[in-house]
Amino acid sequence: MALLLIVLLPVLGALFTGAFAGNNARLNSLIAMLAPLVSLALALSLLPAILQGELVLAHWQWLPRLDLALSLRMDGLAMLFALLIIAMGLLVLLYGHFYFSGKPKDNQRFNGLLLLFMTAMLGIVTSENLLLMLVFWEMTSLVSFLLIGFKADQRAARRGARMTLVITGGGGLALLAGMVLIGQIIGSYQLSDVLASGDQIRQHSHYPLILLLVLLGAMTKSAQFPFHFWLPHAMTAPTPVSAYLHSATMVKAGIFLLARFHPVLAETDLWLYSVSTVGMATLLTGAFVAMFKHDIKGLLAYSTISHLGLITLLLGMGTRMGLIVGLFHLLNHAMFKAPLFMMAGIVEKATGSRDMQLINGLWRYMPYLMVLTGICAAAMAGLPLLNGFLSKKMFFAETLQSPFTGVLGWLTPTLAAVAGLLSVAYSVRIFHNVFFNGLPRDLPVFPPRPPARGILIPVTVLTLACIVVGLVPQYVVHTLLQQAAHAALGAPLPAYNLGLLHRFNLPFLMSALALTGGLVMYLYRRQLFAIYDRMPEVDAKENFEWLMLRAGNFAERQVHRLENGSLQRYGALLVATCLVLAGSALTGLTTWGGGVTTPADPVTVLAAVILMAAAVAAVVIHRQRLLALLLIGTCGLFVTLLFARFSAPDLALTQLSVEVMAVIIMMLALSFLPQTSPRESSSLRRLRDLILAVATGSGVAVLAYTVMTRPAQSISGFFLDNSLTGGGGSNVVNVILVDFRGFDTLGEITVLAIAAMAVFALTRNLQLKERVTRESGSYWASEPHPVILRMIARPVLPVALMVAGYIFLRGHNLPGGGFIAGLVASVALSLQYMAGGLVWAHQRMLTAFRPLIGAGLLLALATGLGSLAFGAPFLSSWFNHYHLPLLGEVELATALLFDLGVFMTVVGATLLILANLGNLMTLDGPGKEIG
Amino acid sequence: MRLELLLPIILPLFAGALSLALWRSLWLQRALAVVMTLAMTLAGAWLLHSVSGEGYLVTDMGGWEAPFGITLVADIMAAIMVLMTGVMGLIVTVYSLGSIPEGHERFGYYPLMHLLLAGVAGAFLTGDIFNLFVWFEVLLLASFALMTLGGERAQMEGAIKYVTLNLFASAIFLSAVGITYGMLGTLNMADIAQKVGQLEPEDTGMITVVAMMYMVAFGIKAAAFPLFFWLPASYHTPPVAVSALFAALLTKVGVYALFRFFTLIFDQDVSYTHGIMLWAGALGMLAGVLGAAAQFEFRRILAFHSVSQIGYMIVALALMSPLAILGGIFYIVHHMIVKSALFLVSGVTYRLMGSHELKDLGGFYKHRPGLAVLFLIQALALAGIPPLFGFFAKFAVIRAGIEAGEFVVAGVGLLVGLLTLYSMIKIWAEVFWKKVPDHVTDTDRLTGVVADSSIWLLYLPLILMAIATVALGLFGQPFYTLVEAGAHQLLNPEGYIEAVLGRGE
Repeated sequence: MALLLIVLLPVLGALFTGAFAGNNARLNSLIAMLAPLVSLALALSLLPAILQGELVLAHWQWLPRLDLALSLRMDGLAMLFALLIIAMGLLVLLYGHFYFSGKPKDNQRFNGLLLLFMTAMLGIVTSENLLLMLVFWEMTSLVSFLLIGFKADQRAARRGARMTLVITGGGGLALLAGMVLIGQIIGSYQLSDVLASGDQIRQHSHYPLILLLVLLGAMTKSAQFPFHFWLPHAMTAPTPVSAYLHSATMVKAGIFLLARFHPVLAETDLWLYSVSTVGMATLLTGAFVAMFKHDIKGLLAYSTISHLGLITLLLGMGTRMGLIVGLFHLLNHAMFKAPLFMMAGIVEKATGSRDMQLINGLWRYMPYLMVLTGICAAAMAGLPLLNGFLSKKMFFAETLQSPFTGVLGWLTPTLAAVAGLLSVAYSVRIFHNVFFNGLPRDLPVFPPRPPARGILIPVTVLTLACIVVGLVPQYVVHTLLQQAAHAALGAPLPAYNLGLLHRFNLPFLMSALALTGGLVMYLYRRQLFAIYDRMPEVDAKENFEWLMLRAGNFAERQVHRLENGSLQRYGALLVATCLVLAGSALTGLTTWGGGVTTPADPVTVLAAVILMAAAVAAVVIHRQRLLALLLIGTCGLFVTLLFARFSAPDLALTQLSVEVMAVIIMMLALSFLPQTSPRESSSLRRLRDLILAVATGSGVAVLAYTVMTRPAQSISGFFLDNSLTGGGGSNVVNVILVDFRGFDTLGEITVLAIAAMAVFALTRNLQLKERVTRESGSYWASEPHPVILRMIARPVLPVALMVAGYIFLRGHNLPGGGFIAGLVASVALSLQYMAGGLVWAHQRMLTAFRPLIGAGLLLALATGLGSLAFGAPFLSSWFNHYHLPLLGEVELATALLFDLGVFMTVVGATLLILANLGNLMTLDGPGKEIG
Repeated sequence: MRLELLLPIILPLFAGALSLALWRSLWLQRALAVVMTLAMTLAGAWLLHSVSGEGYLVTDMGGWEAPFGITLVADIMAAIMVLMTGVMGLIVTVYSLGSIPEGHERFGYYPLMHLLLAGVAGAFLTGDIFNLFVWFEVLLLASFALMTLGGERAQMEGAIKYVTLNLFASAIFLSAVGITYGMLGTLNMADIAQKVGQLEPEDTGMITVVAMMYMVAFGIKAAAFPLFFWLPASYHTPPVAVSALFAALLTKVGVYALFRFFTLIFDQDVSYTHGIMLWAGALGMLAGVLGAAAQFEFRRILAFHSVSQIGYMIVALALMSPLAILGGIFYIVHHMIVKSALFLVSGVTYRLMGSHELKDLGGFYKHRPGLAVLFLIQALALAGIPPLFGFFAKFAVIRAGIEAGEFVVAGVGLLVGLLTLYSMIKIWAEVFWKKVPDHVTDTDRLTGVVADSSIWLLYLPLILMAIATVALGLFGQPFYTLVEAGAHQLLNPEGYIEAVLGRGE
């Protein structure tokens, strides 16, 4: 529980500050610091046990199925990092309180995010579960992103934040893949199991891949070459953030990862060469560039990169002593780099600038800060009696005993010495340039405002730490460091003594050489700057944006090849895809057709031929729209005949009435279009379409043939047997429609209702260009409503409605039913429109079509639901026969009610469509809405 | 008769019909919409509760026993989808109350939305392939009508592409249904699955052909690669509430049908059928995210990302392992919430600044920090950042990919996650972090000078969805257990067949 509290207290604190502190900056900071203080106390309470070499574990379930558990682990390594994170965090919070003085809102946001980060970082170092570690890992990237973009209205801040997130987030994803591979190999995601399976992993064929992925995660996070370029751009974050995340803690997460996985991944040649090469490259690049940065934070950022490279190099050499030195330097780096960043922030607030070309001679204004900075810079340079000296000297010693042989054997220490020299140069620069080097020039704020007293507290504390560790390391950090290294190595440690490091030997000589060389280099800085200024400038984030934009454009071109906005092309692609997939499967068929054939009679064949000819002709002359429509009508009629030929009178009737309505509606639509359509497709495209059409048609034909000629058993027998006895009707088709598969019909009438509503909305919204007026168009009949038609139409109506009623009623037993009856009624009513005109017709009929549709649907539904009242399933039918006087035997069936619903919906929908399309046709355009 | 199996379909159908009958009173329609979507959500919850206890729920329509009548079947996946349909319907309804123009309402916005929900629920629950076709038509036409309600030119263009390409799918689907019936003489899914399993070896080739036809038909519906064109052509045209509803539901029906058919029926030639889907999924992930990279319109970016996310779901299905299927269901649910929430955010930014173009937006971080948080949560979830729900969905799929040895596909999945993150951050930087652009003069609504009394109706759904995304990540264990059982059901179709065909003997 203590472990969980250590990790979660900061984020709880963040919630508290948000909830209670309001705009009171002092209260806010107080609460913000209280939480990590408790965390620190808890961590310290565990310290004695850890120093005894104990391991504290805590375990809760989270998502066992995904092997994600809330498992925490506190050992020496975790303790070292945890103390660093919490202590640094407290100091930075204190610093931040003064840094943001006068901006309570910013301070509040900073405190919240910093605490969230602290939880994430503590989570990484105490995770016992690999996936949990990943969760926290991504969280740190994210908070870092938000903090880099703290000043969001600056373009540089936004871009820097984006780039950082993509690089560190991408590394996190690589790490994720690596973790999954590890988990798969050993079958567990618990760190204890992983650490115990080093040999198994190193011998696995996926080891190189795993190493690559884990290294990618570590290198991106710790700003290692060639991913180092994000760190300088992270400096747009407020300075306390830079001090904490981008120097003391987050960038060390990668190092932590290398140390944590040392027993699993290290001690192979692959590790040795890859990690130390990266480390060396980073060390040198960072140290070299740092010297030339005029921005104080820029210099510190590159120096951070360089120090991270140094630690990576130490870990990469894979020796046990190397690991100890690496951890030691990591600690020292945090102690001297954070106060330097804090100094940069104080100077910026005091002078309004961070440019070292302007800032000079500040010793007059801030003597105390000068002393502190001097000590920290000296520690960074590696001056004796300070902590940096110790770890750097140990580093030199390690390079001398590196596992490298041959050229690398002497190249490594040489390069290390060069890097040491460079680091001395920039350390001298940051101290001398800021506080001496003549007088300030053109500062935005002059004279510099003296810093608040409180802001110097954290700087002082850290500076003192540098001195104490430098003087008596054996009493301060030795035991903890030993336990940390022990936990990281999982093996006995070599003997060493931090207290004896001040003795003179070869590494000492290297240190001395570096010091003098660095001083000399600084003295010749002007010449060096001149050379450096002539080198081309590279702005990583602009390049990154450019690269992403180019990649985006490239991607768009590729996608555009497929997706160019042309419906014809999309259609062709869909058909082609279907053709390829189904066609390739078709080639695997061994038998085609099964031998069951129906003899073809000449009439059927003739009808089929006409059907095909009409279809082909419709395609050929599709530009003549009216003709094409007639031919489509022909196709429909022949389909009707075919239905009749194969003994499906219901289908034939339905098809017939649908065909009539469809042609009428399409004629209405056609009147808005030109009589012929222009020729738009190139012949190449028509050829493509021809090929696609022929291939698809043949494919479907083959399929149909194959299926229809094989002997088949189907469920249709059941329907024949049960139609009368179970459904109460002898017309099987109708019983299927309203009973066996009434649910389908319910859906289909819904479709019809929706279609009617769509047409309604479309016609109401349509913005038509001016139509051809009646006078100018020779196509239009001179008399819109011919007298003969009018005279015939009126008497036809009652007859047709009677027919509809008859068809409706007999539907259950003979061909007919609600659907057909509805269509017949609609045709009869639409005839009135044609004969008398809209206005005339509407004066004489009810036009509440939408409520009619709704009522029809409701009736069908209610019929279905009625059966529930009797405890039967939805849409169960009930029927009985009655003997009525005069009418004789009458059957009453609930199916009839359902069918009535169908009838109403069909009539309502059809007329809604017709009336509104017709309404458009009137010369004064869409008038009052109908329906 | 299990009422909870029927209600999710009947309730919205009833509401749709009633709204039509009440077309004069917009107030009644609005009230009905809230009540009915709420009721549908409750019915979905009831269904899920029953299913998680009993495994499968089966009901024959009209009392005609399977395989002769139409059977409704719910397993855990179907019940989850139905519940999510209700939730999304409710969310979008609330949002619509504050955002849909009155013209839309008058032309039947609410009835169409109800009927769309009915179609979606029907498609999830039916156990009959022809009935599935019917529901597909219901939801296709309803969505088409919703898309055209505004009558704008761009909407017409998008809608025509949408409906034409989807009619291709319908035609292919219907042909496949015909062939299936011709071969097996039945339409009931469980019966088909059983009969396919009993086919002679020489007939299985034909089954693969039919499987391919279903794959293409559902692939079009699901916007899978390379059949996704209708989606980026149309999703950005209707009002945002409609886009959000579409993003949540339309493609999911296609994905669900793929999951259903390719676990229940077509699981004999997995290396062939699922191999194709694996690469279609991977290419879809890439195509979507690359397409999004070049977009600078809020909704278009989101629409392209859908193609990419569908890819993850299809990869999950193609991998066919318990973990993968679990990941697939996670991903579907995750995507429903996240993508519609993002669309809804774009609706708020549009309302406050009057544009969907990134270059015309800005300043929301400063002026609307709450909205910024709501966006960020969903955007990060979409990119798969832990510990949000989206991470676990993506992680399950990728881990399943690695465990199956499909390193390339898993790598593509990770890369696409990164590119998605980049894309989301692009929106974040432009819309939220960036200052209000200089050329934008009307900022009164953004800064709150002009009060907007109904904007809480837009915020309320966003807040609920953000809570869901966080909570399902942090405290999702019960849901994971449930989905795991659901994945188990899908991978063991005997249970489904037995539940449908082996009753009451």
